[in-house]
Amino acid sequence: MLQNNLVIQVNGLEKQYQMGDNVVHALCAVTFTVQRGEFIALMGPSGSGKSTLMHLLGCLDTPTAGDYRLNGRLVSQLSQRERAVVRNREIGFVFQTFNLLPRLTALENVLLPLLYSGRISAGRARSQSEQALTRVGLTERIHHKPTEMSGGQRQRVAIARALVNDPALILADEPTGNLDSRTGETIMALLGELNDDDRTIILVTHDPDVAAAAERTLHMKDGQIT
Amino acid sequence: MTLFNTLWAAIGGIAGNKLRAALTTLGIVIGVASVISMLALGNGARAAVDANFRFLGSDMVQISVKQKIDQGELVPVGEILSYDDGLRMPGELPLVERVLMSVDGNGKVRHDREVLDMVVTGTTAEGLLTLASQGQVQPLRWPDGERLTADAFLARGRFFTPAEVVAGADVCVLGHKTANDLFNGDEPLEQIVWVNRKKCLVIGILTELEVTNPALRNQSRPNELLYLPISTAIVNLFDEEPSVQITARIEDESRMVTARAQIIDYLRQRHNIIKNEVGDYEDDFELTTRQDILGAQQEAARTFAFLLAAMAVVSLIVGGIGIMNVMLVSVTERTREIGVRMAVGAQQRDIVLQFLLEAVLISGFGGVLGSAVGVLSVPLAANFNRGVALLDPSSIPLALLVALLTGLLFGLYPAVRASRLDPIEALRYE
Ligand SMILES: Nc1ncnc2c1ncn2[C@@H]1O[C@H](COP(=O)(O)OP(=O)(O)OP(=O)(O)O)[C@@H](O)[C@H]1O
Ligand SMILES: [Mg+2]
Repeated sequence: MLQNNLVIQVNGLEKQYQMGDNVVHALCAVTFTVQRGEFIALMGPSGSGKSTLMHLLGCLDTPTAGDYRLNGRLVSQLSQRERAVVRNREIGFVFQTFNLLPRLTALENVLLPLLYSGRISAGRARSQSEQALTRVGLTERIHHKPTEMSGGQRQRVAIARALVNDPALILADEPTGNLDSRTGETIMALLGELNDDDRTIILVTHDPDVAAAAERTLHMKDGQIT
Repeated sequence: MTLFNTLWAAIGGIAGNKLRAALTTLGIVIGVASVISMLALGNGARAAVDANFRFLGSDMVQISVKQKIDQGELVPVGEILSYDDGLRMPGELPLVERVLMSVDGNGKVRHDREVLDMVVTGTTAEGLLTLASQGQVQPLRWPDGERLTADAFLARGRFFTPAEVVAGADVCVLGHKTANDLFNGDEPLEQIVWVNRKKCLVIGILTELEVTNPALRNQSRPNELLYLPISTAIVNLFDEEPSVQITARIEDESRMVTARAQIIDYLRQRHNIIKNEVGDYEDDFELTTRQDILGAQQEAARTFAFLLAAMAVVSLIVGGIGIMNVMLVSVTERTREIGVRMAVGAQQRDIVLQFLLEAVLISGFGGVLGSAVGVLSVPLAANFNRGVALLDPSSIPLALLVALLTGLLFGLYPAVRASRLDPIEALRYE
């Protein structure tokens, strides 16, 4: 029963980059588990491997060695195609730089994951996207383009996009890094609310105050969890 | 992702850089336009050949004298092709049913004080029939598709009889304008006109004629005609006996080959042509059948088609490379977009489809524009080709298809390249 409650099981995860003759060990034997509904802060000095780990957890990349189970399913060795499906349905990723498509409106940006999932009708996709935008507190500006919005609003759109497919896991890599501290606080409050809705969240941050809002903090150094 | 949404994304991609997309289509536009106008040239040439040689029925052999240029003048290479050569042919060759002959010469035509310097035609009694079967001219406002008969060409009176031709009778038939010019509205029938130094009785007037092909109407004057029996014309218009044009009608079409060979033998005998040292005959006459013309035409069409294909291929490759180039630039510029799309769950095939559609849209746009330019440039092409160009409607869908295929072919590599990007690398791209 407890097994079923584990969203993430990582065992001996490694990532190495070949840089000419050198091998960079970005991750070394990382092992940890995350329970459903946990809110975890990931901290550590620059270059310690936080983003590398987040990319592996987000199925954006494949590990050099080790196992990664998401909701009990082994996803570390999936094909490119299968990883795209996992990214689409089970993971919401929030980036430091928002990564919204500049030519699309807020609503269209949020719609993207639903369009690629191809499972629901256009009408339902639209209402689901509007709900997600409402959830992050944006009802007014949904037909605006990212360039017409403030940083905080853009990150809200990005968060709406991350949760529109109702994923089990939300990964946020320094979501407040590009925001002033006031705006950062509202974004953190939003993530906290989402966590109260029983969503599992992993958040990378350099700010101890931000980390304090999390239930548990993982510290990384030199590619290892300490 | 549905096709519609992918299409939408592709349109968005193009809209992001309209000017570049428009410039890219230039190669395709030129390619497609040239395909259409070149096909129109080919089509027009074919139609012109059809129109020009319609008169030569499949049961006919046209015989003319072989000529060479000597001191700037056309002269026969050997003996002339004489009236007598033609006259005796049906009697000597059972396969030749009958023979039509004609000769053109310059003459001074006079009535009262009106004098015309004009081309006078001598023909056998079937002169009007020949005119009708040639189909080059027709009575004014002749209903489309209605069969032309010899009688339809006559306004009043009659054409000369075979007996008058044999006898060299002093009779003539006038074209509509010639009759008006000579008689100023008076009735010419049964009147006398002078052709050179000989009086001729006017026995018939032709109805007003027009050139059948509208494109050629202002290039010839179909109503300035004077027909004489060919025997009369030969005596009256020429100092020396002229070569005549002979058309032999073969009784049994299926024996065309035999008849052709017999005509050659007959003329060689009459012209005393024997084998030379190397065993060849140096004929002083030329035979043309419908088969000969069709063969030559097919040959020309093949050459033309080859030229056309080469031109189309070159311009479309240029256009295609243009599209490939702009798509590669676009993929590079939008690396981050591709990364974002992949991060939220786009499959490789979604990305391929998006960029492929974008390339096809650009080339399709070029195809439509090129078709319009091509259609508009047909008259221009005709100007450069003595009025011979005819739009072939089926060339438009063909050219469009070719444009789309070009987009597909040259868009494939950039699209596949986009889909092979690594999501992380793409997201990190500045
Ligand atoms: N594509 C790559 N090729 C080579 N080395 C890489 C690559 N990506 C990351 N690294 C290396 O892996 C290590 C971990 O990088 P990572 O981006 O995970 O650090 P980080 O903890 O996120 O740092 P930051 O806090 O600055 O974002 C670093 O030494 C980095 O240089
Ligand atoms: Mg990082």
